[in-house]
Amino acid sequence: MLKKIPPDSPRCAHRPAHDIVGPGAAPITLVVNGIARALSIVPATTLAEALREQLALTGTKVACDRGACSACTVWLDGAPVCACMVLAIDVGDREVTTIEGLAQNGPLHPVQSAFIAHDAIQCGFCTPGLIMSCAALLAHTPDPSESQVRAALGGHLCRCGTYPHVIAAVLDASRRGRSRP
Amino acid sequence: MSAGTRSEHYPVGIAGVSLREIERRVGPDEAPPLPPNAQLRTVGQSAPRVNGRAKVTGQARFTVDVTLPGMLHARLLRSPYPHARILSLDAGPAERHPGVRAVHLIDHAIGRAREIADPGPAAPTGRRMLYVGDPIAAVAAVTPQEAQAALDLIQVVYQPLPFVIDLEDARKADAPRVFERAVHSESFGEPAPQLPQHGNVHGPDLSASRGNAAAGLNAAEVLVEAEFRTQVQTHCCLEPHALVADWRDEGLTVYISTQFTAGIRAELAEAFGLPLSRVRVLVDAMGGGFGSKSRVGQYVLSAVELSRRAHAPVRLALDRHEEQIDSGHRPSTVQRIRLGARRDGTLTGVSIDAYGTAGVALGAGVGNFAQSIYECAHFALAQSDVFTHAGPGAPMRAPGNVPGAFAYEQIIDELAERLGMDPLALRERIDASPVRREERRAGAERIGWSRRRPPGSDPGTLKHGLGMAQSHWPALIQTNSACEVRILRDGSVEVRSSVQDIGTGVGTVLAQVVAEELGLAPEQIAVRIGDTDFAAGPPSYGSRTSASITPPARNAAYRALRQLIENAAPSLGAAPEALAARDGRICTADGRRSLSFREAAALLRTDEISVVASRSDDYGGFGHRMGDAAMARKGLGGVQFAEVAVDTETGRVLIERVVAVQDCGRPLNPRQIESQVHGGILQGISYALYEERILDAHTGRMLNPNLEQYKILRSRETPTIEVHVLEHYQGESATDAYGIAEPSIIATAPAVANAVYNAIGVRMRALPMNPAAILAALGRVPQPSGPP
Amino acid sequence: MNRFEWMTPDGIAHAARAATATVATAMISRSGLPATDAAVLKAGGIDLLDLMKEGLLSPHRLINLLSIPGLDRIEPQEGGLRIGPTVTLAQLAAHEAVRARFRALADAAGASASPQIRHLATLGGNLLQRPRCWYFRSRAHHCARKGGDTCFAFAGENQYHAIFDHRGCAIVHPSTCATALVAFGAVLEITGPTGARRAASLEAFLRLPETDLQRENDLLPGEIVTAIRIPAHPLTTRSIHLKQGEIDSFDWPIAEVAVALDLADGICRRASVVLGAAAPAPHRAAQAEAALSGRAIDEALLRTAARAALEGAAPLSRNAYKLPIFEALVRRAIRAAIEA
Repeated sequence: MLKKIPPDSPRCAHRPAHDIVGPGAAPITLVVNGIARALSIVPATTLAEALREQLALTGTKVACDRGACSACTVWLDGAPVCACMVLAIDVGDREVTTIEGLAQNGPLHPVQSAFIAHDAIQCGFCTPGLIMSCAALLAHTPDPSESQVRAALGGHLCRCGTYPHVIAAVLDASRRGRSRP
Repeated sequence: MSAGTRSEHYPVGIAGVSLREIERRVGPDEAPPLPPNAQLRTVGQSAPRVNGRAKVTGQARFTVDVTLPGMLHARLLRSPYPHARILSLDAGPAERHPGVRAVHLIDHAIGRAREIADPGPAAPTGRRMLYVGDPIAAVAAVTPQEAQAALDLIQVVYQPLPFVIDLEDARKADAPRVFERAVHSESFGEPAPQLPQHGNVHGPDLSASRGNAAAGLNAAEVLVEAEFRTQVQTHCCLEPHALVADWRDEGLTVYISTQFTAGIRAELAEAFGLPLSRVRVLVDAMGGGFGSKSRVGQYVLSAVELSRRAHAPVRLALDRHEEQIDSGHRPSTVQRIRLGARRDGTLTGVSIDAYGTAGVALGAGVGNFAQSIYECAHFALAQSDVFTHAGPGAPMRAPGNVPGAFAYEQIIDELAERLGMDPLALRERIDASPVRREERRAGAERIGWSRRRPPGSDPGTLKHGLGMAQSHWPALIQTNSACEVRILRDGSVEVRSSVQDIGTGVGTVLAQVVAEELGLAPEQIAVRIGDTDFAAGPPSYGSRTSASITPPARNAAYRALRQLIENAAPSLGAAPEALAARDGRICTADGRRSLSFREAAALLRTDEISVVASRSDDYGGFGHRMGDAAMARKGLGGVQFAEVAVDTETGRVLIERVVAVQDCGRPLNPRQIESQVHGGILQGISYALYEERILDAHTGRMLNPNLEQYKILRSRETPTIEVHVLEHYQGESATDAYGIAEPSIIATAPAVANAVYNAIGVRMRALPMNPAAILAALGRVPQPSGPP
Repeated sequence: MNRFEWMTPDGIAHAARAATATVATAMISRSGLPATDAAVLKAGGIDLLDLMKEGLLSPHRLINLLSIPGLDRIEPQEGGLRIGPTVTLAQLAAHEAVRARFRALADAAGASASPQIRHLATLGGNLLQRPRCWYFRSRAHHCARKGGDTCFAFAGENQYHAIFDHRGCAIVHPSTCATALVAFGAVLEITGPTGARRAASLEAFLRLPETDLQRENDLLPGEIVTAIRIPAHPLTTRSIHLKQGEIDSFDWPIAEVAVALDLADGICRRASVVLGAAAPAPHRAAQAEAALSGRAIDEALLRTAARAALEGAAPLSRNAYKLPIFEALVRRAIRAAIEA
């Protein structure tokens, strides 16, 4: 029986053609924002590096490079993860969604609009990661309590101190989402 | 100035409290007085950020996102020892490493105290390294990995030398010396009268003293005395210090995460012997600075030098470890304060003896706060910088005032208790500021100050408390600050300046101010800033940006509009003086005759009108001038109240609520101001409760050089915050706006500390107030009995 | 981070044969430099990447356990649970059966790190991660656990270090999940390079420095933890896990407590009280357990048990503040378990 992958457990079912690759560059395919992208990377390349340096998707920010600030948050199969703590070669066929994929050429995601409306932005360096976490939260928990919002943001570090406006923005986006038919 | 000046009436006072008018003489090019915000369309409204969309979609371009063709990557070799002499250095293997394009051996340290008898540039061999992380060399290679690999090939032989990292140890006569010779005295980076230097102690600086403090203290009816200690806080900007330097025959272009593009241009021009016109400095989105990205550091010079040698653009970005050890920090302090008062609270004498260490830099002074906030004729301040073998400090959001207020606003509360006075009543007595009086009143009402109970009287194990504290900050203005407004023939409008948006939203308030003047909407104004090819704007530090750049922006818009109107007036058959800009139209007062703004622009004889204006002097004159900057006659206030709960079993302090009442002249964009006040409060709480740089006594290394063990407030520690901003008009400039970033952090830590005292009845005189400190203060920590 | 080969094994046996070292053995050296010829197993990779980025680990090859199917399941077994080693902390925290029957484990998993890390980190990796001691994590400190001669914590900054069992090394065990699992008497299934299987109680598997200064457990090179089994507990068992950091959002604990109490008719038939962030391995507070067992729990007994939990504590120069915190957490955890 085919087991549906729960959204909170990004797994790797991917098997490369050869059982050993590297340490030099090896070809991989990443599905990013719905598009399969072929690239050549050394196995030591993190997903954050592959996105920023190879695919020029610089909306994903790296601030600590150790999974401690969550600025680099992207989705793997819809679950928010730190792109600095995932090897690109380990992504396999899991779908990567970055900040650039949230409102591709279309209207802003409700969380993005709410961030602007509530001024949940200061310097903006942590903002893409925060938005990816907030949007993931609302995807799985459309009507979160304030403490759920705070818990979902616990991994993020915003040195400018936007948290009060971020929390207000998420709760507002949630309300707007519920009032939609 | 007197020729052509005119008389105008400006609103002054606090809206809703004490608003009245004052007459000022102003220059002919000044825009007319702006009425209070209630009568305006755009200024005073919470316009959304002009770069909001870019920031929420990931399109905003930060320095670390800049990639140029052929760009190389640079890394710095740093001293592994806190104090060592370089006996030999061989960079040959690194130079020969494939992928390496340039190696630069640093021959002269910058970004620290400067010895008076500085011998100048010197070969690396023989140089002394003064802290773990002191830069030695830089390598540029085709990838960051190759640059790092090359660094590892540089052969350095060090002679480790004795070092000292502890503030108290460093003061001792036999402590290892950081500097062998006396250093230049300076204050906030500006030259100052030369101070004595003995061993590692530079000072004391007694210059802020007045009257006779000893006599004042002798005359006191009540004396309080206490010693306070504060820790080192690091800036932790999310975007690292970074630049891309591009040296070409035609000139140098530098993309850099900075708080002062024009200042970086001037420093680089001087360092490399280039004319200002051949140096261009740019920053688009900027990921936080908090004071640490104000000047050219060694990493900047290194990247430029590598680009010059390699004939290619060079990117250099610090990693998080480097950020923590060598990008600046808020110095630690020890402050001994004696306060004398009469029974009615009047201060008779104040004596402050302060030491602080900014590592190998100056700038640990704390006295500015106590010197300025309360009236006392007899005030003695002795403050000394103590050098230690640690990375250089740098200004950090309200430098000096944050640790200074932590101590002073607590001892004022101690005095109130000794006098049997309410802390607010004592401040009523000693604080001459009418603005803070209103702030205390408004804040006390909002927090419910009347609920405050005697210290430590909450019966449970979770003890609640209320506390408050005040801030004072000088209102600073960059007089060397210019802005251009362009009206183009298609009706589009541009505002241009080298001023940079470090996250405060200055681009948005520029659009608002220009839009207000031109009768347009903010989104119709294109904001082009962060580029020294534009008119040179102010730095974004010292909470001076809005005060410095919005008046010239408004004046430039006003003058450009006059030109537009004069040109269009004949078509409307009206005198120019009879026309105004309103709702996107140029119209007569009765609105009968009008042109759209676009139609008026189409009548221009040339493609554009361009007006550059620079910051006029304050209408009532400045308090005093300091080179390119000046201090307004009146400072900025702010009063904050904190409601806390202390878990007396686990030592955790929970901040439940903060009420902040602040003033910043005319509030231009309330929501952006609220954002900044949130930031000040949250950084202040984080400083009060969590943050601390921990150095290893054995190696001089920072043990928590990351964002995991260096603990910073996050979402779950964020309390409910209520921000109330007064409209305080002073009639001093075309916008009457001032800054808010620094005033909003100063009162937080002492308000929390005073609230903690109110909760547990024990004074917390050292930071951070973490569980270990709280439990120790409560006498709950047993004596350790473990093995050595 | 060093460059390395990336191996995708076709099964447990293949992976086990390919592994030449554990992370711990690959980090031990006299020189202070990690081995560069090690082939090590990788699950979620969080701790591995952290160590590699810091230059503390430089493996020649990573063997990716995530590519082996079937290791990421949570299944009921004999009244207890059988948890695959690559189950993520997020899965564990959200799993119905875990929450209902073994709440302390769900709480512990959910209190670890951040949501982003919990989606990547696996239970196996969480149990086997290396300590967070800042001397151990510093390349400049060649400490006893890495093959050096000294534990720097004793005469250094030991505010986050152990108050029990720190003979020769003062780390605290970094796994919050381990604290809960020890309280439940969890058993590991381990497969060796020859295919041989063994079972070990987690409590016995985790080692104190007096037994082994350089490894936190007795995993051998080529061994793979293939399952974590929680034995059946009476339905009357209630459990709770409490963690205190300096901040709540994202922090390692300065103290944590897991308790599992079998309560019936007002009597505590069996008590399990385990302290985390207290010792180099989860610390079973045996005297507290003895105090509670067979007794009706009232406030006075709570206090007695909490004090008994600290029996034998020997705080270092800067961490005696942990004692009152543990005492409070033990009391609160027992009370919360009773009220759960």
